[in-house]
Amino acid sequence: MDDDRFKEVIHDLPGSFNAPPPAPLDEMWRVIEDAHFNAPQAQRTSPGFLVNTPWLAAATLLIGIGIGASIPRARTLSKPQPPLAVTAASPDTSAVADAYRDQTNHYLGQAAALLISLPATDASRKADSSFANKASDLLVTTRLLIDSPAASQDVKLRSLLEDLELVLVQIARLRNERSRGDLDLIHQAVEQGDVLSRLNSAVATTQSSE
Amino acid sequence: MHLRVEPIKHDRDDQRVNESQLIARVIAGDRLAGRALYDMHAPRVFSLAYRLSGDAEKAREFTQDAFIRAFSRLSQFRGEAAFSTWLHRIVVTVVSNARRNEVRFGREVTLDEAHSIESSAAEAEPDLKESIAKAVNSLSEAYRTTLILHDIEGYTHAEIAVMLGVPEGTCKSRLSVARSQLREALAVFKE
Repeated sequence: MDDDRFKEVIHDLPGSFNAPPPAPLDEMWRVIEDAHFNAPQAQRTSPGFLVNTPWLAAATLLIGIGIGASIPRARTLSKPQPPLAVTAASPDTSAVADAYRDQTNHYLGQAAALLISLPATDASRKADSSFANKASDLLVTTRLLIDSPAASQDVKLRSLLEDLELVLVQIARLRNERSRGDLDLIHQAVEQGDVLSRLNSAVATTQSSE
Repeated sequence: MHLRVEPIKHDRDDQRVNESQLIARVIAGDRLAGRALYDMHAPRVFSLAYRLSGDAEKAREFTQDAFIRAFSRLSQFRGEAAFSTWLHRIVVTVVSNARRNEVRFGREVTLDEAHSIESSAAEAEPDLKESIAKAVNSLSEAYRTTLILHDIEGYTHAEIAVMLGVPEGTCKSRLSVARSQLREALAVFKE
């Protein structure tokens, strides 16, 4: 094929390769409207890729085991067996709350450490990858904490977790090829959401309640 | 806090709606503004999704997914690139992720398809249009996407660089390789 003929092929590509049919605008809008404008606030801001992933289920299991392991055994095992009716009516909620608080505290500390150690402007690809991996790990915990009943009762914590989730998603993307402005955008998001000072305040709150 | 939303203003031609006002209104939860913003961009987004996927049903799903993601992240849009470029970057990401998953989990190739792939090179005068489609689809993802964005959808290298998150020079070299491979695949056509 000579140059002119190939130029002609390239020129004609818009008409010859996957020429699109008319877009079903109304049909698509109904789905978008339902998903965005009719959905609860929490669903609007959650990144879709965190949902319905097999590793999320695995992580749920791990966190569950972690919480279970951190509940003091003495409360459940070494106590004499109470009457059946009393056991069923009074689950050991304080132990669960303690475990949740410990997990949250641990998580907030890790998130704060990650954000503080994030380089200001430039970093090597290796460092990017390390931050991205850490952010990916924290993302799983973030989503689990957001979805936990305890977070639904603490509006401030929930809002912080949602902001953190967005920042962590951006950091996790540093693993891929990044443009020069990506780190700036992350720092902007941290600053605009006042994320670090809210994190510090949340860590202080959870530690003082121990 | 009461959020005061300005009414939508129209320019002198009374046709182009101020996009940044629309974006602010969508962030505030205004679904009419959402629809207006959608109407401005959906045809191009659907077209891009269809070009990249070659399937109307998938293009519909990708378009929906891209808008849902874009609306939920609108507050992160800083206006450093055009809104359309930012939105189209989301579309490209959505389609690329889906194609990557298709490859990872192994798309089924029917016997007819397999036969057609094997025999196309041996045909004396295969249909040019079909051969072009096969040649474009057989390019690697990065080359294919760059070729479609530049030569079919008409984006500039600067826009493609933003969409793919790579330097402009990378886009140019990818396009050059894509064209070269395409030409090689179509060498059987003399005229």
